[in-house]
Formats: sequence, C-alpha cells, structure tokens
Amino acid sequence: MTNRLPALRAERGWSQAELAERLGVSRQTVNAVETERYEPSLSLAFKIARLFGKRIETIFDGAGE
Amino acid sequence: MTSTPDSQPSGTVRRDSVFIVAGIVWMVIYWVALLFLKNPNTPGPVKMAAVLVPAIPFGFFLFRFISYVRSLDELHRRVHLEALALAFPIATLFLMTLGLIERAGMLSKYWSYQDVWYYLPLFYLIAVAVSWRRYR
Repeated sequence: MTNRLPALRAERGWSQAELAERLGVSRQTVNAVETERYEPSLSLAFKIARLFGKRIETIFDGAGE
Repeated sequence: MTSTPDSQPSGTVRRDSVFIVAGIVWMVIYWVALLFLKNPNTPGPVKMAAVLVPAIPFGFFLFRFISYVRSLDELHRRVHLEALALAFPIATLFLMTLGLIERAGMLSKYWSYQDVWYYLPLFYLIAVAVSWRRYR
C-alpha cells in the first residue's frame, strides 16, 4: 500500500517527530508508515486523515494490493 | 493500569518503563536467593524461602511489563507480538533438544534447569531486535 504521508507532512513543514506527536504515536511508527514498511491500523489511518483534513483514500492507495 | 495510546491526550506517547526498575529488583533478589542456596549451611526453611521469594518481584516485573506493552503504540506492540512468535518456538526447540540430549545421557551439568532459563529472555530480546529490523 502506497501513501502520500511524506508529501503531506512536507507541505506543512512538520518533522516526523512533530507528526508523531500530533498522532500520539512514536516517530518510528511514522517513519515505518512513510517508508511503507508498516501499514497502519484503520484507527490510525482515520486519525491521519482527520489531521490532514482529507479522505483516507486520498492519502493511502491500496490499488497495488 | 496504563492506558493505550488511543485513549491518551493527543501529542503524548507515554512509555511505562518502570518495568526496567522492576526487572533490576527481581534480578537482585534472585542473585541474593542464589547466595543463600549455594551456601551449604543455609537452613531448610530459609532455602525454601529463597526458592519462593524471587517469584514475588517477578510477579511485579510481569505486571509492569504488561503495563509497558499496553502503553506502546501499535507498531511497537506488533514488534513484541512478532518477537513472541519467534522466541517461543525457538525456546521450545531449545528445551526439546536439551531434553533429547539429556535422554541420550550426554547433557553436561552446566545445561541443567539451574542455568538454561537465562537463555529464554535472551531469545526474546534477540527476537525483538530481529523483529525491529523489518520496520526500520
């Protein structure tokens, strides 16, 4: 599953640590999601979508699954 | 009980790491118990106490460790789950092999139950490191 998290984070000028703090997860988790080594739970995906004010499917693309 | 990250205020990831202190206390008490048990002059009731007492700090360590795992976010919890899935079969294989070697009459006294338990937490720590490699 691909995602636009690095681009969205860069648009807001946030570091991984800042994004992690806003999401209430660790920086390692943000890094693993961004590098597509880890697929977030639905709950975390919703939290990310809400934070960026977008729909989940505009951030995460599961077309390759 | 420690809450999960989902129930915490935004912007905080509390890591309940008191388990490290609890683990150190457990090891110190275990070490003191060993001293009593190794002394041939230790009376029987004291030996019995030395056998049983380390289970108390271990219970506290276990309680704190569970709290620690519950305080982790979803990726960290997955790492610990995968570590368990790796460490448990390895520990099973290890003990099964030791059992077979013992049945064959070839087990050295240094591989008795007195000492082999040290390897079990070691397997877990190695499994955590192996599991983390996948997500780093």
